[in-house]
Amino acid sequence: MREFFETVPTLTRLGRRLNRVGLMMIPCWVMGLTLLGGIVLADQALMKEHCFDCHNADKAKGKFELGFLGEAPTSDNLDRWLDCLDLVTAEEMPPEDDSHLVALDRTKIVAYLDEKVRRFEKDADFTEAPKPRRLNNREFSNSVRDVLMIEDVGTHQPTDNLIGDSLHHGFDNHADMLGFSRFHLEQYIEAVRKIVDATILSGEKPESKRYEIAPENILRSNLKQNGGRNIQRGKDGVFDFLDPRLFGYFEEFVTAPETGRYKITIRCTGKDRLIYDSAETGFYDGDPIQLSVHLGNRVRMFDLPDEEIFEIELDEWVAAGSRLQMHNPTDAFRMKGNGNFKFQYAIGAFHTQKNNPEKYAERVARIKKSPRLKGSVNRWPYWVTAWEGARPQVFGAVIEGPYFESWPPKRQVALIGEDPKAENAAAILEPIANRAWRRPVREGELDKIVAMVESKAKTLGDVEAIKEGIVGILVSPAFLMLNLEDIAPADRFASKLSYFLEATLPDDELREKVSAGELASFDACRTEVMSKFDDGVSDEFLREFPYGWLELNDINFMGPDPEHYLHYHKKRVSEDMVNEVLQFFRHAVEENIPIPEFLSADYSFINADLAKIYGVEDVPDDSQLRKYVFTDGRRGGLLGMGAFLTSTADSLATSPIHRAVYVMENFMGIHPTPPPPDVEIKEPDVRQAKTIKEILAAHVSDENCASCHEAIDPWGFAFENFDPTGAWRDEYLVPVVLETDEDGAPVPSSKNEVTIPIDSSAKFRNGSEYQDIREFRREILTDTNRDRFVRCFIEKLLTYANGAEPGELDFVAIDAILTKSSEHDYRIVETIAAVVDSPLFRGK
Amino acid sequence: MKGIGGALSLPFLESTAFAGQKTATRFLVVGNPFGMHPEHFFPKDFGKEFTMSRTLKSLDWVKDRTTIFSHTDHNMVSGHGREVAFLSGVLPTEALAFPEKNMSVDQAVARHTGAQVRYPSLNVGLKNGVRMSWTSNGVENELITDPKRLFDHLFQNLTAKEKQERREMIARNGSILDSVGDQFAGIIKSGSKTDAERIDQYQTSVRELETTFANREQWIGRDKPKFDISNHYNGDVTIESEYNAIFDMISFAFESDLTRVATVAFPTELGYTDVPGVTRSYHGCTHNGKMDDVTDELVAIESFQISQLSRCLKKLDSIQEPNADGSMLDHTVVLFGSGMGYGGTHSNRDLPIMVAGGGFKHLGHVDTRNDAGENMPLCNLYLTLLQRFGIERDEFNTSTSNFEFGDA
Repeated sequence: MREFFETVPTLTRLGRRLNRVGLMMIPCWVMGLTLLGGIVLADQALMKEHCFDCHNADKAKGKFELGFLGEAPTSDNLDRWLDCLDLVTAEEMPPEDDSHLVALDRTKIVAYLDEKVRRFEKDADFTEAPKPRRLNNREFSNSVRDVLMIEDVGTHQPTDNLIGDSLHHGFDNHADMLGFSRFHLEQYIEAVRKIVDATILSGEKPESKRYEIAPENILRSNLKQNGGRNIQRGKDGVFDFLDPRLFGYFEEFVTAPETGRYKITIRCTGKDRLIYDSAETGFYDGDPIQLSVHLGNRVRMFDLPDEEIFEIELDEWVAAGSRLQMHNPTDAFRMKGNGNFKFQYAIGAFHTQKNNPEKYAERVARIKKSPRLKGSVNRWPYWVTAWEGARPQVFGAVIEGPYFESWPPKRQVALIGEDPKAENAAAILEPIANRAWRRPVREGELDKIVAMVESKAKTLGDVEAIKEGIVGILVSPAFLMLNLEDIAPADRFASKLSYFLEATLPDDELREKVSAGELASFDACRTEVMSKFDDGVSDEFLREFPYGWLELNDINFMGPDPEHYLHYHKKRVSEDMVNEVLQFFRHAVEENIPIPEFLSADYSFINADLAKIYGVEDVPDDSQLRKYVFTDGRRGGLLGMGAFLTSTADSLATSPIHRAVYVMENFMGIHPTPPPPDVEIKEPDVRQAKTIKEILAAHVSDENCASCHEAIDPWGFAFENFDPTGAWRDEYLVPVVLETDEDGAPVPSSKNEVTIPIDSSAKFRNGSEYQDIREFRREILTDTNRDRFVRCFIEKLLTYANGAEPGELDFVAIDAILTKSSEHDYRIVETIAAVVDSPLFRGK
Repeated sequence: MKGIGGALSLPFLESTAFAGQKTATRFLVVGNPFGMHPEHFFPKDFGKEFTMSRTLKSLDWVKDRTTIFSHTDHNMVSGHGREVAFLSGVLPTEALAFPEKNMSVDQAVARHTGAQVRYPSLNVGLKNGVRMSWTSNGVENELITDPKRLFDHLFQNLTAKEKQERREMIARNGSILDSVGDQFAGIIKSGSKTDAERIDQYQTSVRELETTFANREQWIGRDKPKFDISNHYNGDVTIESEYNAIFDMISFAFESDLTRVATVAFPTELGYTDVPGVTRSYHGCTHNGKMDDVTDELVAIESFQISQLSRCLKKLDSIQEPNADGSMLDHTVVLFGSGMGYGGTHSNRDLPIMVAGGGFKHLGHVDTRNDAGENMPLCNLYLTLLQRFGIERDEFNTSTSNFEFGDA
């Protein structure tokens, strides 16, 4: 009986795989049982009959020979077995036009391959320990914050000296990129010192001061490097943000003189919202006028009411030396000229000319008196002071601080006590080390640090010496390194889970829960994951995972050409595109949608800037992202998003290959082989009146290239109707190449550009075809492709969670996650929980 | 040359080891991320009497001390991301297979010359870099990406009080390293292999940092040479003015023996629109679809990079090498290139590579293919460069032999 139950998961899994190959009608467990008997007699001959003609030692299409498989998988050829399993399951092999494999025989081959792989992985020591790695910069900041129990690492940019993280296929937490060097260590020491210095204050309590700042003492930052000239200050009772590129700051309070808490009140208003035409300014009528207040690198945003005085009130812990600045954070006012704000002033000239002739005449008269008059009176330099674009105005501010509700400050007492002494260093540092190291401190482990504190206390004093001890704890390997094996399994699991979902160290509650064995089951993991999302502590996961998975960092690596795609650049639409993806992902988690809905959804989250690109009109006139249902069958979900379509296009043209490779790697989990080094790649030539399809057709006629391109190209052609920004088009516009006459001189042409209709149809190797993106969207949701997508999503989750890609040996374990996911309708929260509950995440 | 100590007085030499010793050799690498438009970079003819190409035009004056290498590369497949192997021939992902990981050639030189100078090497970019410089631990080197920071780093002297504070801080940091350095000493012997590897990296870092502290301690007492940067910030700040400042500081750092190894990067993120005729992004221009106007912009960007290099070479050439014949350029090995062949095709074959100065018997434009028509591994050239520094080795990463400059 026990044996029977152990076989059940196998049966469902295999059953599901078989279902995909078209035997939906037979209950899967019956199917499984029937076949299970046959597998013992595994029919290699069947594969030989159908595959050998193309995949023998002489021909080896796609550089594959059947002989590579041997009798059974080995660690060297497992990837070949998995490729075969995927391709035969998807009916891409044997290719449709060259095959007489009947469905029943296909199921036999699939069952044979599946069983062989499963047996091999069962015997192999498959679950590798997670790779140890250094914390990345985000995790470092968050972890230091939580060790010291403060709101953030400080406003004084204490981690700016850290060496930036390198991305590995989009992810910033990959173990291969997080090695260790002398530079890193030295930068960590410096950063930790800066943070600790702004957290633990020694000496006398600094005196609090009150600053009352008049508008005349609010200054405007200067764009020129050799500043000093041209200082502009508020006048007539107001400081006006005429140029959104510039920051305003307070003459008496440029930087915080001391570390401590400050109360800041700023009196301000939103000015002149509806005066200029939104189409000219790029400022939407529905958007609030905003003011951002920058305390060093901490930014607070405020929506200001129109023409009504508003008091911003802040109460913040600010580190000494942090700059206090204010800014108008709009993405508008870049529409004229090359986008430089100064050219926008001309909007004011034309507006006045049209709407206020009297005022215009008066000003023009004044301009004409200028001895240096050059060009038109409507040129921007004459209209700077007449600006009436929507903007914040500030009337003054009051700053009070540093103040402390007690001395030493509460946060410090919580960390090291009221009156810490070096002789108690061990007791003071133990709980700090316990948090930092994410495990109990071992016997004698703190001795050296304690000895250092005691010896330093003689010269530095008690508090400073204890700070040295804290610095020591925070630059020790046990803090800086994640996933070391040298940690109890429960502690490691708590740590991993916390870094996965919250990008920081585990709190006591989670550690206790795990130690008590409360997260041992799938259901418990599901409840835990769900509650993390509900508690809103997983923002970093909700942002960083999709950002890495979809390689959003690359969106402007090859941005659309600035001369052709003005709107994209002038309204910084790439930021909206990235936010669209993040918003969709957040929605997916909040609504716990089935993962395939990322591809099948007919909706997305758009604002007026995106609506312009997507050709949609019925959205409110503002920058806020809202759910929008597309009725054209072309858009909705990831496949219609600008972020994907733009980052995979060249700046002037689109590339079905780039898009195909992106879809394969990030959605389908297929990793096409890059072309060999000796292949001559033709440079795209947009001057020729040929479509990319025609060019590729020539390419594919070369046998060396054909076998791979047949597999790749159909994943990309469907998107040809989307231009480099992701906007819809029915035709290519190609510049005319002038014919030359007998002497080689160009023959003039009446047209600059010609149009060529777009053919976005293609055929997969398994014979299924599509005419356009609508039909493609159906193809990508077949059962096989759906499973590919969910599996790919799981692999990406594992990559993010472990800091390393799962390997081929993890195939069966991933299949188990996929099964669990399918039992829950592929819902995203349950799928994440299944990842957490998997041995691939937990460890052996 | 105004502002660099005056023409008559010899610059103050940083390294005391310098005086009386044999002449120093220096190494300057200039790299970019996207390679070069091949038709405009590679000269049409070969040999010493070749005609300078359009992109390289500004180097015409130093033609007889230049070698341009056709048909050399690291045999990498196409695509972005391989340019990180420009100076090593080894991708970070393959680094474990090599004893010195993916150590770049500049670091191999710096390891040899570093002990004699204040800064073993400088890695400089603007806004960002190109990931060129990697340690023998397989970790990317820190980049200075702001000329002001470079100035502070190289030339800012400390007050007596700051020196005292610096010494104390070094002592305090030293104590911290002592107290945590061997937290996991036991693991290396008993624990898992992967743990041991990362802990070993950590411990190596601790040891290296201790050495750095010791070196730094030594230099704290000595004043740095003076460099007047004020002339560089008179007009508008453009990428040209910033690169002028960077290259001038580096030539002066060479001249005053602050360092003997420097890399300078022309990254992707720069707004090259400061360069006349350029309106598009650098990367956008590489994917020009063969449109003439866009290609012209790309060539303008690439020519700008070369002209900055040329300006620096002129500066080095105007300095007489102390204690030796020839100019400082004749004692500075200059390498220009990229780990990408040409961005437009994503090809990483036939890298654009050029060596100038360094006292080599230069060959003009050479076709480095062997008799079988196969490209030369670029590491062969690197091996030769290393040997020029008196480093005794007969292989470097993927080299198969060395590259022979002229004999005569």
